[in-house]
Amino acid sequence: MSAVAIHTDGHHHDDHGHHKETFISKYIFSMDHKMISKQFLVTGIIMGTIGMLMSLVFRLQLAYPDTKFPIFETILGEWGKGGKLDPNFYLALITIHGTIMVFFVLTAGLSGTFSNLLIPLQLGARDMASPFMNMLSYWFFFTSSVVMISSLFVQGGPASAGWTVYPPLSALPKAIPGSGTGMTLWLVSMILFIVSSLLGGINYVATVVNMRTKGMKMTRMPLTIWAFTFTAILGILSFPVLFGGSLLLVFDRSFGTSFYLNEIPADLAGGIERVGGSPILFQHLFWFLGHPEVYIILLPALGITSEVIATNARKPIFGYRAMIGSIMAIAILSFIVWGHHMFITGMNPFLGSVFMLGTLIIAVPSAVKTFNYLGTLWQGNLRLNPQMMFAIGLVSFFISGGLTGIFLGNAALDINLHDTYFVVAHFHLVMGSAAIFGMLCGIYHWYPKMFGRTMNESLGHIHFWMTIVSAYCVFFPMHFMGLAGVPRRYYAFTAYDQFNVFVDMNKFITYAAFIGGIAQFIFLFNFFYSMFKGKKAVQNPWESNTLEWTTPVKHLHGNWPGEIPHVYRWPYDYSVPGHESDFIPQTTPDEGQLDPLSEPKAVPAPERKRVPTLEKEEAVLFTLVKRWLGFAQ
Amino acid sequence: MKHLKIKASFVLSIAMILFTSLSVFAQDMNEEAAAAAQSTASNINWLIAGIAILLVFIIGMVFDILSKVGDVQKKPIINWGKINAYLALVFLVVGLAATVWEFMVHGKLTVFALPAASAHANEYDNMFMVTLALTGVVFVITQILLFWYTYKYKESPKRKALHYADNHKLELIWTIIPTLVLTVLVVRGLIVWNHMTSSKSESAMNIEMFGYQFAWNARYSGADNKLGKYDFRQMGVVNALGVDSTKEFAGDDIITSELHIPVNRDIYLHFRAKDVIHSAYLPHFRVQMNVVPGLPTKFSFTPTLTTNEMRVKLDNPNFDYILLCNKICGSAHYRMKMKVIVDSEEEFDKWIKQQPALTAKGTETNNAFSFKMKNSPLASK
Repeated sequence: MSAVAIHTDGHHHDDHGHHKETFISKYIFSMDHKMISKQFLVTGIIMGTIGMLMSLVFRLQLAYPDTKFPIFETILGEWGKGGKLDPNFYLALITIHGTIMVFFVLTAGLSGTFSNLLIPLQLGARDMASPFMNMLSYWFFFTSSVVMISSLFVQGGPASAGWTVYPPLSALPKAIPGSGTGMTLWLVSMILFIVSSLLGGINYVATVVNMRTKGMKMTRMPLTIWAFTFTAILGILSFPVLFGGSLLLVFDRSFGTSFYLNEIPADLAGGIERVGGSPILFQHLFWFLGHPEVYIILLPALGITSEVIATNARKPIFGYRAMIGSIMAIAILSFIVWGHHMFITGMNPFLGSVFMLGTLIIAVPSAVKTFNYLGTLWQGNLRLNPQMMFAIGLVSFFISGGLTGIFLGNAALDINLHDTYFVVAHFHLVMGSAAIFGMLCGIYHWYPKMFGRTMNESLGHIHFWMTIVSAYCVFFPMHFMGLAGVPRRYYAFTAYDQFNVFVDMNKFITYAAFIGGIAQFIFLFNFFYSMFKGKKAVQNPWESNTLEWTTPVKHLHGNWPGEIPHVYRWPYDYSVPGHESDFIPQTTPDEGQLDPLSEPKAVPAPERKRVPTLEKEEAVLFTLVKRWLGFAQ
Repeated sequence: MKHLKIKASFVLSIAMILFTSLSVFAQDMNEEAAAAAQSTASNINWLIAGIAILLVFIIGMVFDILSKVGDVQKKPIINWGKINAYLALVFLVVGLAATVWEFMVHGKLTVFALPAASAHANEYDNMFMVTLALTGVVFVITQILLFWYTYKYKESPKRKALHYADNHKLELIWTIIPTLVLTVLVVRGLIVWNHMTSSKSESAMNIEMFGYQFAWNARYSGADNKLGKYDFRQMGVVNALGVDSTKEFAGDDIITSELHIPVNRDIYLHFRAKDVIHSAYLPHFRVQMNVVPGLPTKFSFTPTLTTNEMRVKLDNPNFDYILLCNKICGSAHYRMKMKVIVDSEEEFDKWIKQQPALTAKGTETNNAFSFKMKNSPLASK
């Protein structure tokens, strides 16, 4: 029963550890998935900090459009002449903030980090299917980050056409200064990023399909792996479309073609008259990636929280199969809904109806996921450590932001809400905050695995409460601005009398954003301090069932000294009745279970007192509500 | 003994932190006095930021010290599980109260609090309210359950979690109920969408909205209610919009920089852009359509309240309808707007006759024509 199928006696030699590791091969051009995951994480955190600081700069502008901040001139030079932020640079900031957050932090930083760390560890593999491709994936990502950041320093500034870079604005350098060199670098960076993402994605899928240890059936994979797999598939299928789309935009910008341009006079377009293309074509190509991208961001976060909630509720995740089903449903549906970003581009209203139908259907699997989370918490024994709090925060954001999606997915309602602050509020809650919470949740949870130390818990809790309060204070009021018709991407609202009522709200939002920013510095301090000075971690600090906690604290290239453990059960055997400890690791065979592929004894469903149906309807309902709220067994 | 030492050092460190922070502020104040030219407002804000950062550090240190004390005593002083559970309850209650407050206070600032200004706005607003009500119920129930469970099921050594892995009946229930609710929303939404996108009549007044960096022009079709052809190569040559007045239907077209529309008349807006994508957003009328270079887009609607009527209703003599650009289009995107005035038929007839057409002959034709037409089947609905 207690025999863990892993040998730690040290006589086994590591198959992969023969060659001598130099500093470069260990820390820089490492092919070890654990090191690569750390590289992704640290790069992601650095990019995230840059993106966050940018948001603070433009929040200051939005709160105090008439105030001069001499510090702007110090930091930004020409872009902040006399302490006033330049309107073009404001647009550049929101563009790069969006790009960095969506792609560099929440795509590479989140799924790059945790897919790399967890896929081999949780499946019982020595490394990725192709460690070399994995390394390439990181270095393409790194190059892409460098190119993106370097675009901040070129003539004309970085790309400024919004993170969606719709042409003609992004295609015509005359239209906005950012569409010069900055935009070229944006496209180059994006193309490198897509290469990185594809190299990673193919690797993840190959590893999941081929390299599971004995006994790790698909139905015994942790939900994290299910989420990462579908994320990778989404990426593989959708990123190439953006690749093509970006390439055509490069042609339009540099070689005088007209894929996305129509009826643009020669004087606006570099001396060549552009006829025959369609600006909407780019939007179709962009959102064909762009919408799955939302789920590329969200699914790993949901996978991570599923794992963390189950572990810390000391309960099996409720509805494991339903969770997998909803991940699949979301992944498939995400490919046929991209048009909901384009309801008002003048596309055929019938097409709008189709996209609206698909979009609203996504709410069903999302609702299933939410209720399953609630079902997991119900009657649990919740360890409210930082990662658990972040997971609960994610569910809260997922609800708040998901529900506003039902407004925006409705083509008719979208007419008045499109591109207003309502949209900003919606996606910052459901995609921004929720995914960031998933990422932070994963960092707190797997930090001991990554760095062999634990992060400071008190600081983690302070970080959590400051972040959730500030995130709600920042984004919740924005809904009302949107409903009043306040457009997004406005440098100032001073030209509009009817928006004067929101001056105070804008200030409030900025204060809240700064509190959130401070909270992130607490996290950064905790993260880097704990790396060297944190409490030494034990092998399985959270008493979790999954395979990664059977590896030694000190990293080995090849993960397990000796044989790879076999898996005998699913990962969610928490609080099984009749067992002394409240968790049974996946490597523990049941009594008499010799073959890992055979199923362990099924745990009988808990005996429940039946609600007496003979009583009056009110009485039955009352009993049920009492039970749901935890007042009756 | 050790115990006491730690407590003493704790008090001492707090005192030191307070002292240093105060002295930092004192320094700030001196500098402020010296640099009298600087605006006090921004200094105060920096001060607030400074105080906030220091406070956080103090709180962090307090927790650190307390947890160290706990380690020494072998009995944790701070039980974060409990604190979090109670904070979750507080967060739930305060959060829900704040949400209600938001709806009461900021809800009044939204366009939904204003009288509907177009024929389809009522239907739109109904759809919005139905969605709001349904999602609102779900929001409140799920958030309450989430944070309630967080509080209720906080870790206790006395209890073991219930091993309860799935329940097909429950899964079925919470799949089918959202499906039914969404079916209602989808069907209703499709009906509203169809009404909004197909509500144009033959007699609607054709107006072209021309967007360019960074302003709008309106082109009225004049007496013939037909817009003359444009040529994008002629933009800025024959006139800003590239409409050759000698072409068919073009002579009586009128170009203005303010949008006047007659009340209770179907308006059929044709959108055109010169350079980049813009978006014509008229929030009071629940109208928005992208304005794309080289791709004609359209939207039709019927205003139902004149500007004056709206001013009386809102008791705000400065109220004006507005058309905003709502697609990022360049540095002055945030100032790209147009005043919209809904006139009574008489006022509109008078106003449009004061505007010169592209040709003198066109102006004559327009002046001889009556724009006072009550021909909107939608308005009678």
